[in-house]
Amino acid sequence: MLIRRFDLPLDNDAVSRFLPWIIAFMVYLAILALAGTLVLGAMAARWDTGMRGSLTVQIPPAPATGAAGNGKAAKRDALKIKQALEILRASPAVARAEPIGERQVLALLEPWLGDMGNAKDLPLPHLIDVELKPGAPLDVALLSKNLAKAVPGAAVDDHKAWLKRLIRLVRTFTALATAVVILIGFATIGTVVFATRTGLAIHQEVIEVLHHIGAQDSYIAGQFANHAMTLGLKGGLFGLLMAVPTLLGISALADQLDDNLLPSIVIAPEHWAALAGMPIAAALIAMVTARYTVTRSLSKML
Amino acid sequence: MAADKNGCVARFENVGLRYGLGAEVLRDVSLELEQGSFNFLIGSSGAGKSSLLKLMYMALKPTRGMITLFGHEIATAHRKELIGLRRRVGVVFQEFRLLRHLSAFDNVALPLRVAGVKESEIREHVIELLTWVGLKDHLATRPPTLSGGQQQRVAIARAIISRPKLLLADEPTGNVDDRMALRLMHLFEEMNKLGATVVIATHNETLVNRLGHSCMRLDAGQLDFVETPVSGLSGGPANAGGFDAGWGRTDD
Ligand SMILES: Nc1ncnc2c1ncn2[C@@H]1O[C@H](COP(=O)(O)OP(=O)(O)OP(=O)(O)O)[C@@H](O)[C@H]1O
Ligand SMILES: [Mg+2]
Repeated sequence: MLIRRFDLPLDNDAVSRFLPWIIAFMVYLAILALAGTLVLGAMAARWDTGMRGSLTVQIPPAPATGAAGNGKAAKRDALKIKQALEILRASPAVARAEPIGERQVLALLEPWLGDMGNAKDLPLPHLIDVELKPGAPLDVALLSKNLAKAVPGAAVDDHKAWLKRLIRLVRTFTALATAVVILIGFATIGTVVFATRTGLAIHQEVIEVLHHIGAQDSYIAGQFANHAMTLGLKGGLFGLLMAVPTLLGISALADQLDDNLLPSIVIAPEHWAALAGMPIAAALIAMVTARYTVTRSLSKML
Repeated sequence: MAADKNGCVARFENVGLRYGLGAEVLRDVSLELEQGSFNFLIGSSGAGKSSLLKLMYMALKPTRGMITLFGHEIATAHRKELIGLRRRVGVVFQEFRLLRHLSAFDNVALPLRVAGVKESEIREHVIELLTWVGLKDHLATRPPTLSGGQQQRVAIARAIISRPKLLLADEPTGNVDDRMALRLMHLFEEMNKLGATVVIATHNETLVNRLGHSCMRLDAGQLDFVETPVSGLSGGPANAGGFDAGWGRTDD
């Protein structure tokens, strides 16, 4: 039921002036937290699909014993790599298997170990990059067993462990952010209850008169509820208005980072829709809470 | 149903009332208001007139005794029933209790709006009634800028706009001159002729005697019925105005 007229002078009290600001702040925080969960979720999904199509095979280098042993070891390693490649390429699920050159391995390690120039002495593992055919079933355990049989020490890394840890991290973040959103919801409810109680006290006299005139509880509660809804929507929209530039700013900053480290933060259209729903959620929470509070307090009147 | 089987709008049986832990303000009050009766309630200041009316408009519960309104026992009635009963009771509060932020028009319209009457029907009735109480030029004025007597008339208009079955007025002529007082009393009589049971609490014994209706007197919380006119003064007052309470014609 929508009452357009207000018999209660709700617009004039101090509560009505401060409530929209609080709700704006709550909605602002809630939108940031919600945006965080949405973006992280999308990121994790993309990492997941990106990593699933590849494997890395690691072959430990043969121990080099002295300068003379060096050549022999290199030859043995080359043989191992060849054997491994043969096994890998024989698997129907494998699209491509290429050894990663020593230079490339060094380049990968450079950020951590620094430029080592010709680091022949370092016992670097040999790596084989394996690309899988999309959709083809692959028994990683069997493959690694076969490899280890032919090439002792060879290990298959399907990034699962790393991915698992990453996803667990993302999940934790998501859960935290969701908890924050829920807490904000409760804080909003508490604020509206407080504001409504104050409003009830301020307008006690008017409420009593309406009551004696024969107003139903729903008539009085409806006015408080509509008023709270208007304030909630006002505050919520303002919060959204503040959150949009913040999100766009964060997204722009993230884009300036190294592309390889972070997939760019993109807020999908459906995510924008969810974020835009927050002011409506705030308005609804305010409305329902105010109605409940007033109805409860009125039910104590004779 | 406007009254119970015995044609009784309000019945008090051994009603007692105390505020908090104080002494009893009303003691063993028993009364029956016959449907269509016109009653004065007199008594010195602090005798408990307002308190008795508060019980009648369900602002208070008695501390003891039983109150029956329109055949409903108040103590056991459901809240929803009470709302229905309240709509049949019109009250002129001693302190007016007008809503400061609303115009005289909106104040008077309030009981109709609360009851869900259509806005188109409200307008005509409210203007007619406010014109009759002499406030045609103050439709848009808010109570704080009205004089005491003007506020009182807005309060009376608000109490009778919805044609209550029981009309309670607490000192409704305290702030107006005798001419206006008489005019307002005739308005109450008009309402009474249209079927309302009326109770008017007042100090003004001259007025009571002049109009000559049944009269109750509260003395230290106890109720007696007294003969009117109290001092034999009775004169047929000239009709103060041709007020036609036509706003309620569609009713009943
Ligand atoms: N809310 C209250 N709390 C405590 N005592 C009250 C309250 N209202 C009234 N009283 C007491 O009850 C007694 C009767 O008061 P009431 O207002 O009914 O008198 P009254 O006959 O209407 O007086 P007046 O003619 O001055 O309006 C008084 O002694 C008053 O002090
Ligand atoms: Mg009084």
